Amino acid sequence: MLASDHHRMKLESNQQGIIFSFNGFISEGILFALGDALKKKMSLDETNISTMKRVFSVFVEQAQNIIRYSADTLAEAGQEVNRISSGVITVGSEDGRFWVVCGNVMRREDAIPLKARLEKIRGLDPAGIKAYYLEKIKDTADPASLGASLGLIEIARRASEPIQFDFLDIDDLNTFYCMKVFI
Amino acid sequence: MENTFIPAMERSPEVDFRFRENRLSMKGEAYPEDAAAFFGPLLQLLTAYCETIKGQELQVEFKLDYFNTSSAKALMNMIQILEHAVVAGTTVNLTWYFQKEDEVMREFGEDFSMELQHVHFQLVEI
Repeated sequence: MLASDHHRMKLESNQQGIIFSFNGFISEGILFALGDALKKKMSLDETNISTMKRVFSVFVEQAQNIIRYSADTLAEAGQEVNRISSGVITVGSEDGRFWVVCGNVMRREDAIPLKARLEKIRGLDPAGIKAYYLEKIKDTADPASLGASLGLIEIARRASEPIQFDFLDIDDLNTFYCMKVFI
Repeated sequence: MENTFIPAMERSPEVDFRFRENRLSMKGEAYPEDAAAFFGPLLQLLTAYCETIKGQELQVEFKLDYFNTSSAKALMNMIQILEHAVVAGTTVNLTWYFQKEDEVMREFGEDFSMELQHVHFQLVEI
């Protein structure tokens, strides 16, 4: 049972084109290690250099968003760099295109402004996304967001089609948020 | 000012600021765990240094392969400091290198060049 259950899980992942899927507490160290494996895999597959840069960038921004914004998070006071946060991040390829999915639990009151930001970004064409990026990169007035607005715009900028996102209220306080990006 | 050299690490670029020769360069990847801690002191150094070189000529080279958005903000900050230095009387030549076929880094070079009216900017494929 043990082997057959896990073999089935592995086969299902393979059929979905999953390169890797991580579910659980993620640290900056795990971000680095997964990113390293992702770069090596793409390089061995002789992926075009611009595609590699785009996939890697989407992966890093999504992983950092989990670390910084997941509601399920642990850190010691003054040890922000050692924060660990729970979420799921999956990278795969389908018909020759890469995709990256991230998901994590958020407080409902934080999910509302995030949804508004994502809807704004999804409504922009590539030229609009670029203009919005250039506006936000110069914006130093928003320290509370740790640069999250720019991260979301960067993700949309590297995508080859509009970003997909979804929110599911899981109880009175919390919402599960996820985003899928095709590169 | 004393030269500053920081070797490249897994997630941070090599920084070679040869202040005494008016040559500054950064190369590699930039996605440090704490971008403010990495770039903050460099931005302060650059600002102080630019005060001391009015009337002189400065060469700046960026040879970056990847940077995350927190680092992009810091780079934009650096570029704005350089632009101000020109207004204050320094000649600044900035070269942005990108690898052949790396459209992402080429486009970033173009983005940053749009912020520059006074710095002499060159985009070079390697």
